[in-house]
Amino acid sequence: MTEVEGYKILRTRGLTMQFGGVTAVDNVDLDLNDGELRCLLGPNGAGKSTFFKCLTGQLTPTRGEITFKDQPITGWNTHDIVNLGVGIKTQVPNLFNGVSVYENVRLASRRKHMPAMAREIAEKMMEKCGISHLARREVGLLAHGQRQLVELAMVLAEEPSLILLDEPAAGMTGDERDRLAQLVLEAARGSAVIVVEHDMQFIRQIAKFVTVFNRGAIFREAMIDDIMRDRAVQEIYLGKQANAAA
Amino acid sequence: MEKSAIRDPGFYLMIAIGLAALFIGPLVVDMFTIMQVTQYVVLSVFALSLGYIWGFGGILSFGQAAFFGLGAYTFAVASINIGETTIPLILSFLLPAAFGAALGYFMFYGKLSDVYLGVVTMVVTLIFWKLANHTAGPEYVIGKARLGGFNGIPSIPTLNIPGEPDAWLDPAQLFQVFMAILIAVYVGLRLLIASDFGRVSIGIRENETRASLLGYDVRKHKVIVFSIGSGIAGLAGAMWATYQSFIDPNAFGMEMSAKALVWVMAGGVGTLVGPILGVILLQWLTLKLGMMELLNSFVVLGAIMMALVLALPKGMVPTLRGWALTGWTLARRGRGAARAKKPGEEGGAG
Repeated sequence: MTEVEGYKILRTRGLTMQFGGVTAVDNVDLDLNDGELRCLLGPNGAGKSTFFKCLTGQLTPTRGEITFKDQPITGWNTHDIVNLGVGIKTQVPNLFNGVSVYENVRLASRRKHMPAMAREIAEKMMEKCGISHLARREVGLLAHGQRQLVELAMVLAEEPSLILLDEPAAGMTGDERDRLAQLVLEAARGSAVIVVEHDMQFIRQIAKFVTVFNRGAIFREAMIDDIMRDRAVQEIYLGKQANAAA
Repeated sequence: MEKSAIRDPGFYLMIAIGLAALFIGPLVVDMFTIMQVTQYVVLSVFALSLGYIWGFGGILSFGQAAFFGLGAYTFAVASINIGETTIPLILSFLLPAAFGAALGYFMFYGKLSDVYLGVVTMVVTLIFWKLANHTAGPEYVIGKARLGGFNGIPSIPTLNIPGEPDAWLDPAQLFQVFMAILIAVYVGLRLLIASDFGRVSIGIRENETRASLLGYDVRKHKVIVFSIGSGIAGLAGAMWATYQSFIDPNAFGMEMSAKALVWVMAGGVGTLVGPILGVILLQWLTLKLGMMELLNSFVVLGAIMMALVLALPKGMVPTLRGWALTGWTLARRGRGAARAKKPGEEGGAG
């Protein structure tokens, strides 16, 4: 396994999350370099979203440790972890439905910045994500793909040093997906990024080093081309989809 | 979409109506009506306290009467002991606000879900009600004030001019002071809601998970909102006590909490004008129906409330606002279509 050496912004050791008899995340040791773009693959129920929830403090892990920026953050409150510089786009978008797109993004940038600066950043991020024309629309009335972009704009507006994206391409049209890939690559220039995704075309556009989850544990860690050729990975997850995309 | 309080013409209209009632009301209306309206004003302040925490903080409290009663008793005990009413009025805001903060701390930091929050607030109200009822004996005295149990506390002083304990307000002046308090509470809440703090509260109402994932401390925020609402309910309780110059444990009653919920629901959750309209309409109906002898007034009132909730599930103000907006859009579209028909001209902007 060839891994780039460098400052590890995120480190988990023996991370385990159990729900009763079910082990959703099983003894995961994961290292992430500062500024790295990592793709997380794995079949449904492999524990990817639960892993994210442990990282953001939405769930308190049963065992194990999480270190972010050299701080042990296991068991911290969500808002404290977030304020340390973690931004997450959840699998099902979590948005402020009753208010406008602009207000959603502004609330994200306002956390760190004074009002004038927050407005400026909000407008910039909406433009970046191609949703400026939706600024005055109520978020609850938007299509799924648009909601994904709104949430992405919110995450970017937070200017986090670690970005977690849980299935960001779901529900997007081809154009929207291409734009998303560009955005993710651009974001990865300033921050570390972990992307969970099933869309193989999207993965091929962005992926370099990949971690594959299966049954809550790390199954493989390798470069994307090796992963795509890996028979065992194909069997657990990719199957025909990988052949079709190749 | 959130509108800044400063840009919304409805905000100024409400202030104008309030000021007009304050200054012109006592000149043109007879004393009995003024006293009747004073009651609506007090209950409007109470309704606003719930309208704020429910509509703009997403906190549904079934026990707003706990703070109403606490404010009323605080005012009664303090004013009887001190012999003037300015400091007791301030205390009747501060003490319930502090109690609300303490209760809120346990509820929100304990991460109670909405259902349990409703149960806890209701039970706290019942505990106060029981407690107040059991203070009939002569041993239950705070300074000069006997709590009186189910008999209540009589001869609570009327408001006096600050610094002049003997200069009591007459009913018209009392109405004016109360109206000023109502306007102040309304304006204060509108400004608070338009502030960044208020916008985050609305965010929390819409999606707690996202609010915390943006780094906002949801628990702390909710405690503050709940505490402000408790203080305002307490202030309303004090106004009630001095208006009636009498208070008994029914101030803590379930009926008081339930009424507040009905007013807010009928008027419209998520508005501030709604709860006020809810009070005026439903209290006026209660009064009118009480005079009727043909049918049991409670049956009729219940039927009207059910019809109201079924016909206008969002409440009066949001429904009316929706109609007005639709009418306006249709009118504009009609004009746009008429213009589009003329050759060589662009259609109306959508």
